[in-house]
Amino acid sequence: MAGPDEIDGGAANGGGTRRARTVIVAGQSSNRTREVLRALRGFHSVIWPKSLEAALEWTGTADVACLVIADDLREEPVDEFLREARELHRNLPIFVITDPDDVAEAVSAMRHGATAVIEIPPSYAALREEVARALQ
Amino acid sequence: MKDLPQTVFVVDDDDAVRDSLRLLLKSAGLACEVAGSAPEFLAAYDPAHPGCLVLDVRMPGMSGLELQQELNLRGATIPVIFITGHGDIPMAVEAMQHGAFDFLQKPFRDQELLDRVQRALARDAEYRTRLRHTDRIRERLATLSPREREVLDLVTQGKANKMVAGDLGVSQRTVEIHRAHVMQKMEAGSLAELVRMMMAVAPRP
Repeated sequence: MAGPDEIDGGAANGGGTRRARTVIVAGQSSNRTREVLRALRGFHSVIWPKSLEAALEWTGTADVACLVIADDLREEPVDEFLREARELHRNLPIFVITDPDDVAEAVSAMRHGATAVIEIPPSYAALREEVARALQ
Repeated sequence: MKDLPQTVFVVDDDDAVRDSLRLLLKSAGLACEVAGSAPEFLAAYDPAHPGCLVLDVRMPGMSGLELQQELNLRGATIPVIFITGHGDIPMAVEAMQHGAFDFLQKPFRDQELLDRVQRALARDAEYRTRLRHTDRIRERLATLSPREREVLDLVTQGKANKMVAGDLGVSQRTVEIHRAHVMQKMEAGSLAELVRMMMAVAPRP
């Protein structure tokens, strides 16, 4: 498996262990992806795999709580990536981040298997709530 | 019983929108029925009637989202296409999470709506075909005797006649006879077909 960029694997949220459940963030290197990663600081283990292939592989590991698709992906359209992830992991919570008011993109993401779509900005709080629920 | 024609049901409180949608759908050769409110639609709706529903989100009284939830409570499977002039992402996400087929913002091109309606009708037709197929299988299952049902369950688990005979405490010849009856009653041409039938009616996890 390709090595992920783990940005927050420590005990920042209550002294957990390295086997804490993992949040995977997928997205090209962009301001939005970085904003999402910042919004998720404080969660035990957030990883940002370097490729889609790695992201899909990580979704198959036992301790993954959810997948957050933060931004467009250079290698593949988001909907296609979503479809693949959903086919592989039927019950995995998958959250897609969109620009505000992009209803068409949100509907398309839901049709392709997203659990929820969150518009950013403004709603980092909504993202944190969804991720916290998935971690439970 | 004569098959009911596929119909596009339109529910919108705006007379002008209802009329224009009716004209558009009729011009595309589609049967269409309109209602000015959710209760009016519910009063006339027959779940056996194939088709799809084009539904305005915001209506006085019962909203489109509330109507969708009511239909879900009633176990209705009609594909719902929401249309709205004031849609936002949370509203669209809620509608889709509750099983909406699509969510379309006004203004939209006529063809956009027609394309979605055609896809929704195709999905409804596919679902009803699958339902008829599973209903037929269940009818055949109901004709099996308790012993035949036991044999069916065991052979579709992959057990050979000898093992089935051991499990049930009967002779192998008796199992063969029951098995032949099962194949005949279920109208199955092979064991693989029988297994597919049982998978089609198995409860989903």
